[in-house]
Amino acid sequence: MFDFFRKSQKLLGMNARNLEYIRPYNRKRGMEIADNKLLCKRILKKNSLAVPLLIGKISTHEALEQFDWAKLPASFALKPNRGFGGEGILVVYARKKGRDDAWVKADGTVITIEDLKSHIRNILDGSFSLANIPDTAFFEERLTLLKLFKPYAFKGIPDIRVIVFNSVPVMAMLRLPTRGSDGKANLQQGAVGVGIDLATGTTTTAIIGKGHVIEYVPGTRLVLSGIKIPYWKEILRMAAEAQKISGLGFLGADIAIDRERGPVILELNARPGLSIQLANLSGLKERLDRVSGLKIRSVDRGIRVGMNLFGGEIEEEIEEISGKRVIGAIEKVKLIGKDGKELEVEAKIDTGADSTSIDTQIAEELGFHEALEEFERRVANRDILQELSKEEREKLFADIPDLASTVPVKSSHGTSYRPMVRIDLVIDGVTVPAKVSIIGRSHLEYPVIVGRKSLRKFLIDVNK
Amino acid sequence: MYYHPWVSFIVSQGVPLQTIALLLMVPVVATLVAFFRQVVGIKAFGIYTPSIITFALFAFDPNGLKYGIAIFVSIILVGMVSRFILKQFRLLYLPRVAITISIVALAILGILVAGGHFHRTGLASVSIFPLLIMITLAEKFVATQIEKGSKAAFFLALETLLISLVGYALISWDMLTILILRYPWIILFTFVINFTLGKWTGLRIVEYFRFRKILPHL
Repeated sequence: MFDFFRKSQKLLGMNARNLEYIRPYNRKRGMEIADNKLLCKRILKKNSLAVPLLIGKISTHEALEQFDWAKLPASFALKPNRGFGGEGILVVYARKKGRDDAWVKADGTVITIEDLKSHIRNILDGSFSLANIPDTAFFEERLTLLKLFKPYAFKGIPDIRVIVFNSVPVMAMLRLPTRGSDGKANLQQGAVGVGIDLATGTTTTAIIGKGHVIEYVPGTRLVLSGIKIPYWKEILRMAAEAQKISGLGFLGADIAIDRERGPVILELNARPGLSIQLANLSGLKERLDRVSGLKIRSVDRGIRVGMNLFGGEIEEEIEEISGKRVIGAIEKVKLIGKDGKELEVEAKIDTGADSTSIDTQIAEELGFHEALEEFERRVANRDILQELSKEEREKLFADIPDLASTVPVKSSHGTSYRPMVRIDLVIDGVTVPAKVSIIGRSHLEYPVIVGRKSLRKFLIDVNK
Repeated sequence: MYYHPWVSFIVSQGVPLQTIALLLMVPVVATLVAFFRQVVGIKAFGIYTPSIITFALFAFDPNGLKYGIAIFVSIILVGMVSRFILKQFRLLYLPRVAITISIVALAILGILVAGGHFHRTGLASVSIFPLLIMITLAEKFVATQIEKGSKAAFFLALETLLISLVGYALISWDMLTILILRYPWIILFTFVINFTLGKWTGLRIVEYFRFRKILPHL
């Protein structure tokens, strides 16, 4: 029972979303940008972020009567400026054959100019806007479906929702329109939401509609996990940029990928929904807490933090299958020396090195001060250690208890010897006993190099 | 019966006791609706509709529940049917709502007549104002149908009815009425409760249910 409540602390509920995130972080100006699609489009475009092109807009009944229908292209999307939840959007795919005053929708329905007019009148009267305030209708280019998404999406265009907080992308999901959602990428209307691993842009778990967990695209045997989303880093960058531009501290950015133009921002949400947690089977509150208070100076830094903190689900799977831990090229490593003396340092993971080596000063801090001094004293009188055979060398140092052995190292000024000691390395939670050589590395960037002999239990991901 | 001096004073000014009791119940009912929204997670149609329906049910007494629920359900059913019929005509919003409300009003009239015919005189003699209040529910219902779809509107209507029933139980609970008339200052506690609710950031009860599939993964 206690465990249940502790776990549910990681979830973001409606109350906390409104009171702790939307209220303090999304000010009026940002809300206005998010709720007014035309304004949003203009501002994003001015800041050179890609948006769907505007074809025309109609704000009054007079303008509707005077509208030049001939200027509409063969395919377009008609949207209410202040619509929400994907309501009131009408998309046509082509002109009706042999007619220039009619178009066809994805389901084959014919839409005439009269139909468009009636729909636009509804928009103007505010049928699709919050609180039914009068609204503006606009036409924009219809995005074309990416080949990759074709088998997954029913009729409409999938989009990617990215939640950004404090310049850090914290959670993302791919939304796929289904037959049930009538080609709309809206979860409430029955679309599929697929969680995304932030580090790799690969899909993980999926839900349909209000939260039924699924593995396949409905009605098919197409697996929903493991889809690699193209332009992933670009998508995260656009979302983070959009946050900076809009001033919305807690933002849900909707980004679609056009076959020709690449990622474009569809719209910004000042009140992003909470179902994204279900799609990812992960709690948003926990992630927001980890990011809150971090000083993020640039968009790039924010993206890096997000990828590092909230990626790794895929990695965990690899770890499960291979039984090995996945680590990066640079890792925090704990060193346990003499008498349990501990030290944590950033180490370079170097598969080009055979054994692990640590800096002299670190060795001293780990309790090998006396051993090193003794070693130096004995070496000082004999600058040509190479003359000694292995047995003689062992005999020479045998009475220094901490010294495991010595290792000959060839360099441009002849062969020298390095003392070696036994310590434990703790890398990514795994303890590895190691015989490490001690050298002066104070002039180098990393005081510790972890070599192959210590890396048998790991896989290295250089992107990490 | 003993009342608080304030209450006695108001009564001496000519205000009916029933009016005082009901006015003092308004904060209680409003708080109840707020509680259902923030803590339980039951939305209903805002705060006005469930509150007003609560009082409408109360005004239907002595057969409040029976007739109140019957009329409520009739309004929702008629609202759904008229949407189904009107959909094909593609009317603008307000005329469409006007037609819906008209159909609802006529349907209620029909029910009253039918009630009389089957000697359910209690139905025919219900006062008109709670009936009118109930009929305006149709607008809320139609608006929600347009915004969120028929299914969502139907569930919100059910939730509204549920909250109103709890509210009804509360205000027709004699103990509470007596308590409030005796110690009217206790309604000040609703302010405290609402301040707490207004700062409440915990998960709503329905959210535990909604996110239940995530919990094993955390």
